[in-house]
This record gives sequence, structure tokens and C-alpha cells, in this order.
Amino acid sequence: MSEIKIEVLYPEYANLFGDLMNIHYLEKCIPDAKIIYTGLNDTPAFTKEEVSMIYMGPMTEHQQELVIQALFPYKEQIQNCIDKNTVFLLTGNAMETFEAYIENEDKSRINGLHLFSTYAKRDMFHRYNSLILGEYKGITLVGFKAQFSHSYGDNRNCYFYHVLRGDGLHPGSLLEGLHKNNFFGTYTVGPFLVENPLFTKYLIKQMGVQNPVLAFESSIMKAYQKRLTEFQNPKLRFK
Amino acid sequence: MKKKTLRFRAALLISRLAMHMQKLLGMNASYFPGKLAIKLCPDFLGQIEKPKNIICVTGTNGKTTVCNMILDILTDNGYDVLNNKAGSNINAGVASSLIADSTLTGKTKKKIAVFEIDERSSKLIYPYIKPNFAVCTNLFRDSIHRNAHAEFIFNIISESLPKNAHLILNADDLISSSLSPENKRTYFSIAKLDSDLKKSVNIINDMQVCPNCHEALSWNYVRYHHIGNAYCPKCSFASPKSDYIAKPDFPSQKVTVSVYGKDETYPLVSNSIFNTYNEITAITLLREFGLTKKQISASLKKLNIVESRYSSETVNGIEIVTHMAKGQNPIACSCVFDYVRHESGQKEIILMLDDVFDRDGSSEIMTWIYDTDFEFLNSDSISRIIISGVRSADYKFRLLMAGVPENKLICTEKEIHAPNHLSLNGTDKIFILHELYAAEEAMRVKNKVKEAVQNRRNCHV
Repeated sequence: MSEIKIEVLYPEYANLFGDLMNIHYLEKCIPDAKIIYTGLNDTPAFTKEEVSMIYMGPMTEHQQELVIQALFPYKEQIQNCIDKNTVFLLTGNAMETFEAYIENEDKSRINGLHLFSTYAKRDMFHRYNSLILGEYKGITLVGFKAQFSHSYGDNRNCYFYHVLRGDGLHPGSLLEGLHKNNFFGTYTVGPFLVENPLFTKYLIKQMGVQNPVLAFESSIMKAYQKRLTEFQNPKLRFK
Repeated sequence: MKKKTLRFRAALLISRLAMHMQKLLGMNASYFPGKLAIKLCPDFLGQIEKPKNIICVTGTNGKTTVCNMILDILTDNGYDVLNNKAGSNINAGVASSLIADSTLTGKTKKKIAVFEIDERSSKLIYPYIKPNFAVCTNLFRDSIHRNAHAEFIFNIISESLPKNAHLILNADDLISSSLSPENKRTYFSIAKLDSDLKKSVNIINDMQVCPNCHEALSWNYVRYHHIGNAYCPKCSFASPKSDYIAKPDFPSQKVTVSVYGKDETYPLVSNSIFNTYNEITAITLLREFGLTKKQISASLKKLNIVESRYSSETVNGIEIVTHMAKGQNPIACSCVFDYVRHESGQKEIILMLDDVFDRDGSSEIMTWIYDTDFEFLNSDSISRIIISGVRSADYKFRLLMAGVPENKLICTEKEIHAPNHLSLNGTDKIFILHELYAAEEAMRVKNKVKEAVQNRRNCHV
């Protein structure tokens, strides 16, 4: 196994809602992994060397625009990384930066990287908070959503997971997030990998670790099972 | 003054009747009459007569304490002040307080008002309420459900504040100090302290880089999170120059305030840095409002900050402390954890942080615990942490990630069972850290802790 390198894009901004714990948990699970933190004024590592995984967390709306500007010159290289199965995990509204555009309430648009054809619409007057339950390759996923925007367009050929309860890409959608090869984008916020240890194991395998061992496995599984049982209760309020 | 419509007069009459009914039924003052009035007449706040002088206080933390300080000092100096202390800090609460103060025709009886304003409600209040002074204590991340992130709240306040309002702002807060840049402003700060750091140790720091050129900021001092004094090494961005600079002397319970370069000394009402910020905020506002140093100082001597969120009792040599740790608020909880770790002696902690509303039929969004500095509880002086509530498995995992050894952690779903797990072996202090709405349960837990301490003592006699 070659060295695992995980690049975290723009952690000085893309760190809302405790999402950087995704990386801290991966550090515990893969102690030998090299974590590269890339700031907005830095040249991303993936443009210079091969990385195993690229991560970006949620940010403010203004920061989304800064991030799109920063990543635009590397659009082709990002596409190449996706094509050659580099693992990507984008949580919260970070996913929107890879979409075609983000539309404001006044219909003005911010062009995205357009690596996916879907687009986002902001509604800063209405905060959307919800729980979500879904399934990916037999793994039941749990998550939280807290956002101002939703994505629209056709993600039938590029969705991350089937929604069992809650909303997917937008209210009423049963298909959550974006997915291509090893690219995973989801609106869920907070440490998705902490909330979903079985998916974390799967993701670590995709990075080339043959027999991944989860840190604090019994504790994290207990928390996951407890939440899963709650989320599967038909009486549980999701919004 | 806007002409009063028939609709307004009807809304005033009905809401006054509702208020009267509430009183007859022995109900506490609330925002209900104001909510009713705004429902009946959407621009009710615009039509009702307001006092000539209005002071509004907002911010993530400290606004209630600052409001109370301002109110108490003004009252002590003979001012008859209208306020929304009894109701709420949203538009309906402000309306309720104005209704309570008004005559039958909607005229105000008072000349001065002090309103606490919920940050998100700014856009519903400031179109109608034009403060002479607007105070912002600070801006931080808060509940992700309502407040999203600090930039969202900043934009709401900045866009809503009337242009004529004289702003009183915290120069040590690089976020709120930039509010409404065209407004007249007066800054306050606390001078560099021995306890200050060169780098933030908190998980949350929303001002890591320069907002103009994105270069990492250099800090002259950091107090907590993004509170401190910083500058950009590449461009001109820097903390603003302060007009009122507080130099607290905690042992002598005094604070020297440099007011435009001239020193004034005031009594210090609390030993905590947070309340020193609250006090310097109130002093700055009141001095700008026109009160003299002598007036403020005399009133401060009589002032006690109500520690309703804290209690301490010693039983058989063990101090039992209850302390509110506002759930879903990573800043508030981190501050409490920081306080606990710096307390002397060997400590045991009972955590009861579940959101009592979410656990009734829903499941709490737990992302906030990963923004909270549970690392502060990884201390040799903390021998045991008893985690109570339905989310105990989440907290246990978080504490393990913070480096707390597993053998120090005990989980129990029922809060009332937590005292059964105290070791009381060499323990000097027991901290019961509870969520805002779990205060009553915390008192029950405290009583059981007292029994446990008492019983153990009896066993040993």
C-alpha cells in the first residue's frame, strides 16, 4: 500500500458545523496517513502530486464564491482526479461548488465548476433543518441537514444514496447528493464519517487500505446503532 | 410620527385586553400581546409611539447581562426606563413592552427605552425601532438551526441597523467590529492580559485569515476563539483602535478604563473575563449616553450580577457546583469546559447536555459537539466524567476523540442515575453541567449528589 495522502481544501473557511472531525477521525483510523491542509492562497496538492482523498466541508455563501474562484483554474485536474478514482468527500454546501451554478433569490447566478450538471438555488429567508436516513450499497446511512439552499436538476445517474426518510437533493427528492466513481457529495452536515462508521470503512478501503480498522470502533458503533434505531422509528419527527 | 390607523387602534385595544386578561389569570408577562398586535396590524411597531431615547443591545453572548447592567445603572440614576426584560427579545416582545407602557391612545409614558434584541429579529425590529445607540457585544457561531453561521447573522444586523444609530462595538471582536461601517461608532476593548495567548486553542476560530487577502492573521493576543487583537501581515486589515480600553485588576476588584486616553477607575463586578467585557460594554454605552464616571461608578458598587445559571454548595468538604452549559452552542459549552478545567482540586463531572425538546419525538442534531472543545475536559484534575442522557454514546465518542481515557467515562441514560456513579474518592469538587432547559432536573441531580456525599461520609464515620 502506498502512502495515504488526504488533502483538506480551505479548512480556514470550509469548517462549519464540526465537519473537520471527518478528517480528525480518519487520522485516528489511518495513523500513518499524511494530512495536507491547503489554504485559499495555496496551490492545491492534487495539482502537484497524487493524493488518495480530497475533502471539503461546508462554508458561508460568500466563501463559496471565493472557493469557486480558487478552484476554477484547476477544473480539468479535478475532473482527471474524479476520472481516475481519487476519493472525494464534499459535505454540506461544498458540494454546490462542483455544480453548474448557484442561483440567488434575485435570480443572479454564480457559475460553479460545472463538474455536475445539477444546480443550486439559495433561499436565505428559510433555513431547512432535517434528519435523513438512506442507503448506499447495503449500508444504512444517517445524517443531519441544516442549509439555506437545495440542488435541482437530474441526478438519477449520479446520486450518492437512496433516501429512505427525509429529503434528498431537494424537498421531495429521494436521491441524495452526487456521486461519480469515488466522488461523494452530500448536503448532510457534521462529521458524516463519524455518523456513518460502516461507510467510513468502505471509504478507507477505496483509498487502498485492505483491512481498515475503525478507531474507537465499539463506541462509534454504539452511537451509530442508537441513532439508527431512532431514525427507523416511524414515529420519529424528521423536521 | 406615522399616522395611527384604525387597524392599529383596534390592535392596540385588543392586545391591551389580552395583556389585562393574562394578568387576571396570573400569567407571567410574555410576548403574546405583542404577537397578537403585530398579527392584527403588521406595522404595529411602526405606529406605536416610542420613547425619545432608545438603546438596543444585541450580540451572541452577554446581551442579557449588558442590558440588565444598563437598565440597573440608569434606574439607579433616576431614569424611568422602558424595557423588554419581562417578555422576549424578538419583535413581539418589544411590542409587548411598548403596549404595556402605552396609554389607551398608544402614546408612550417613558422617555427612554433599553431593548434586548435577538440578532435574527433585527430585520423585523429596526425598520420600526430607530435606536440612538445600538450595542453589539460580540458575534459567534450559535445554533445551526436558527443562526447558521456568524456571517449570516452579521449580514442581517449590518443591513438592518438604521444609519443614524451610534454603534457601541467590541474592538476585540474582528467580526462584529465591522458592522455597518458607515455608522458612527465607539469601540471598547480589554487591554492585553497575562493570561492571553498568541494563538487560538479553540476548535472554532472564524477569523483565522484576513477577509481581504486571505493571509493568515497575526495576533497580538488571543483571548478565546476569535476574540483578541490581530492584524494582517500583508495588507492594512487590523483590529480597530479602541476608544475605551479596560485594564482589569481582579485581586483589587477594580477596572481602570482609558476613556479617549484619560484613565477612570470603576469597581469590577465580577472576576470573569466575560463579565469584564459585559461591564466595559455597559460603561462605554453609558458614558457615551451622557452619564458621568461618578454616576456609573456609584451604581456599579451596588450591582450584583445574578448568577442564576450557577450554584455552589459545600457538603462534607466537597464543593457541588451546578453550571449551565447551553446545549447546541459550542462557544458557551467550550467556555464552561475551560472554566471547569482551570478550577482547583480533583474534580468529577456530571454531563447532562441533551436537548430536552429534541429528545421528545425527534433526534438531536449533534454536529455542534464536534465544534465544542471537549478537549478541555482531558485533564489530570478530572478523574471521572459521568455522561447522562439519551445521547450519552455520542458524548462518549466525542470525549474519546478528545483524548479522555475510556476508564474515566461512564454512561447512563437517566440523568437521575448519574450520582450513583460518582467515585467520591479524593474528590474535591463535583460539577453538574446542564443544558439551559434542564435546570430543574439538575437540581434533582444535585440533591441526589448531596445525599451520596452525605451517605458516604456517614459510612466512613
